[in-house]
Amino acid sequence: MESDTQSYMANIGINRILVHILNKWQPLIQTKRFRYWEDIRKTRLVRRHGYKDEYFPNGMLPRINDGKRIKELPIYRPKDSWSVKKASFGQNDYIDILGNGKLHPARIAYNVPSWLKTFRGNEYTMLLRKTKMLDRGIFPLIHPTKWSKMKSRIDWLWYHLNYRRKIY
Amino acid sequence: MVSREPLKTGTKADIETVTENVTNTDVDISKTTSQSTISVRNFKNLPAYFPTRKIWVENLDTEETNRLGIINLHPEIFGARPRIDIIWQNIVWQRNYKYINYKCLPAKHEIQRSTRKPWPQKGTGRARHGTKRSPLFIGGVKTHGPRGPRTHFYMLQVLQRVHGLCSSLSIKLAQDDLHVVNNLEIPVNDPSYLLNLVETRKWGPSVLFVDVDDIMPENISIAADSIKHINLMPVYGLNCYSILKYTTLVLTLNAVERIEEKLLEQFYGPYVRNRKFRTSQV
Repeated sequence: MESDTQSYMANIGINRILVHILNKWQPLIQTKRFRYWEDIRKTRLVRRHGYKDEYFPNGMLPRINDGKRIKELPIYRPKDSWSVKKASFGQNDYIDILGNGKLHPARIAYNVPSWLKTFRGNEYTMLLRKTKMLDRGIFPLIHPTKWSKMKSRIDWLWYHLNYRRKIY
Repeated sequence: MVSREPLKTGTKADIETVTENVTNTDVDISKTTSQSTISVRNFKNLPAYFPTRKIWVENLDTEETNRLGIINLHPEIFGARPRIDIIWQNIVWQRNYKYINYKCLPAKHEIQRSTRKPWPQKGTGRARHGTKRSPLFIGGVKTHGPRGPRTHFYMLQVLQRVHGLCSSLSIKLAQDDLHVVNNLEIPVNDPSYLLNLVETRKWGPSVLFVDVDDIMPENISIAADSIKHINLMPVYGLNCYSILKYTTLVLTLNAVERIEEKLLEQFYGPYVRNRKFRTSQV
């Protein structure tokens, strides 16, 4: 029995050593790839020569720098809220109340043409007013085309308003 | 609020200056000087049960404020009910009544293009067309396009505009953004003096100085010329939009009188039966 046990223990010791050696030892792996496509590319048949592929195959990119102008938001330029026009907006609008009573705010729009002052209406009434006020002046003589077209527009509008509308 | 009593002669509110030290406990007396006085202004048309508003009279000679006295203001003008709806109507009117849209697209007969039939009616396989001026073609007419200068003119009623002024002035006073000065004289014509003055008194970034005449003192005109947000305005140019746009409104004593005189004339002046705007009246 003693001999059996000794041999058994010895076997265990040998196995332990073997396992230890097997874990430590690693075989030398030397990979050698055969890159066949390098040879193929040299002798490859070029098909559809001159065809430009519109796809961009090299990966994910937002845009290609092709020299074109990129659309972007305009540069923010803050507006001058205290320019002379804005700072004095509304001045003299109450001049008939606070002034000496000779001026009226309807009359202080100096840049507005005379036939548009104190007027509000549609195109037909506006043109009628314009023709009435400019009839005796030099306007028909120096702008004959504009004058005739305005007249024809008035005629057309009169016809349209009177006969070509749904009037219930 | 508005009573129709005929105005007596002399609409200008009389100023009776009473030289005595300020003894009002509601206000800070420590900052007052020995020269401070109370000016009691007797109004011709003072409604009963409406207390007058009071305001300090300041100076512009020094950068730090020097309170010269207290005056009372008419309650109907500087203590009116803040009708925001009326102010809104006034602002909308101010924006619109002078606005003109000049955009105009040509009508069908005004387009410079041939009236020839573009191709035969039959046989071409194309759609039938009579003229190239039609809205289907590029360069043709625009259907229902803008035509002619379009005005947005209308006149707000006079009393609405008067109430708008009163409301905006009252709001300015209630929010402590209204100041009264004796005159617009400053010692130097340097813009930095005006900027420092505004900063030390905490009058906000933008200030509007109002005087009676449109010819202002020389120094303040030169100083305020280079500052965009500090401006001068005569009384007849005052309006709701500017009162709201500028953070602080600075009136001279004469300007206060003129404003009260002109606005009270609308309330207590001779009765005008029809105040509706007519083109013939201007």
